[in-house]
Amino acid sequence: MSLIRPRTILALVAIAALSACTGAEQPEEPVTPPVAEVVKPEPAQISPEELAKAADNIALVPSPAEMQKALAAAGIQAKLGEKVPKRSLKMDVPNKDQVAVRTGVILADLLLTVKTAEKDKLAKQLMDIKTGMDQLGAGSDIAATIQDLHDRVMNDAVSRDDLVKELDELSGAIIPEIEYEAGPRSVPLIQAGSWLGGANLVAGAVIEAKSFEKAGDLLKQPAVVNYFQGYVKGEGQDKASGEVIAQLETTLNTLAEICTHETLSEEDVKTIQSSTSSVLDLL
Amino acid sequence: MSRKLTLAAAALALGALFVAPAAFADEDEAESCLRTKIWDGYNDGWAVRTATSASLKQGEYRIYLVTLYAGNEYQIAGCADSHAKNIDIVLHDADGNVVSQDKTDDRQPVLTFKPKTTDTYFVAVHATELTDTTAPAGVGMAVTYR
Repeated sequence: MSLIRPRTILALVAIAALSACTGAEQPEEPVTPPVAEVVKPEPAQISPEELAKAADNIALVPSPAEMQKALAAAGIQAKLGEKVPKRSLKMDVPNKDQVAVRTGVILADLLLTVKTAEKDKLAKQLMDIKTGMDQLGAGSDIAATIQDLHDRVMNDAVSRDDLVKELDELSGAIIPEIEYEAGPRSVPLIQAGSWLGGANLVAGAVIEAKSFEKAGDLLKQPAVVNYFQGYVKGEGQDKASGEVIAQLETTLNTLAEICTHETLSEEDVKTIQSSTSSVLDLL
Repeated sequence: MSRKLTLAAAALALGALFVAPAAFADEDEAESCLRTKIWDGYNDGWAVRTATSASLKQGEYRIYLVTLYAGNEYQIAGCADSHAKNIDIVLHDADGNVVSQDKTDDRQPVLTFKPKTTDTYFVAVHATELTDTTAPAGVGMAVTYR
C-alpha cells in the first residue's frame, strides 16, 4: 500500500496537471457571436450621363422675382417692377401656343409688380391669367384658386406679403404641375413667356447701369434657352402657331448663339434686349 | 364547398386589410410639410422658385435640373411622408461632380448653397431608406432663394 500510494498520488497529480493544461474543468468562456455590421443605406452614385438623361426640367427656369434678387446681388439697383410696360394682351385668341406665351408674360408682370401695383391692375392681371388658363384647358381647380385670389385682392382681404407668397406658389408649384388639355407645350411656353419678359427687363437694367461685366451671370442661361427651343422647333410644333412662335424660335436661336460667347459684351446685351422685345412686341 | 372557400378567402383578405394596411406614397403629406417649410421661410427672406413631389421606392431617386444665380443664396429642401426614414439631397454641378450633399439621417433634409457663378446644376433627391423596402414614399422637393 505504501508502494502503491505514491504511484496513485503521482497519477492523480499527472491527471490533475493534464486537466489543468487542457482546461477541461475550467468554466467555458461565453462565446459572443460575431455582430453583423449594420450597413446604412447610402444614396446611389449617379453618373453624369444618367444625370443628364434623367433630369426633370420643372425647376430649371428662374422666376422673374428671382431675376430681381440676382440683379440686386450683382449691385444693380434697378427695380424691374418699375420698368414693366403697360400691356393690354388679348387672351381669347384661338392659338393655344400664343395664349401660353401671353399668360407667361402677364404672370411675370404680376410677380414683379405685386407689392406696388394698384389693386385694380392686379385684379385685371389675375383675370387675364385665369382666362389664359381656361383657354389652355387647365381645369376648374386652378380657375377657382385664381378667382379666390382676385376676390381677396378686390376685398382687401389679403396682405401684399401674403399675396407674394401665394403668387410664388401659383407660379412655381401649381401652374407647372397642371396637365393642360392644350398639351405638354403649355408649361414650357408659359415659362418661356415669363422668362422672356424677365430677361428683357434685366437686359434693359444692365444697359442702363452699364454693368456689362455682370451680364454673363444675369443673362447667360444656355440650358434654359435649349429647353425652350426643344418645344418651339421640331416635331410637335403646331404649324398654325403663327408669327409669335416663329419669332420666338428666331429669338431663341439668337440667344443660343449668344450663350456660346465666353463673356457677354455690350452688343450682346443689346441684342438680347432687342430680340426679346421682338417677341413681346408681337403679343 | 367552393363557396365556403371563397368566403374564407374573402374573410382572410379582409382581415389582412385590417392587420397589415397597404403602404402607399402620401405625396399630399410630403407637399403639406414642404408648404409649411416654404411659408415659414418667407419670415427669413426666402421665396420659392419651385416645389414639386414624386413617389419613390427605396434606392430610387429623382433628378431636377436647376439654374442657380451667382449672388443669390439657395436652399433646397426635402420633405417625405412617414414611410421614409432617410431622404438625401445631393447637388451636382453641370459636369456631374458633387458640390454639396446633406449629411443628415432624416426625412426632411435641407441643403444651402450660394453659387459663385450662374450655372446649371442637378439636384438629386434620393429615397435612401424607407420603412418598407417594397413600397414607395411621397417625397417633396423645393428650391427657395433669397
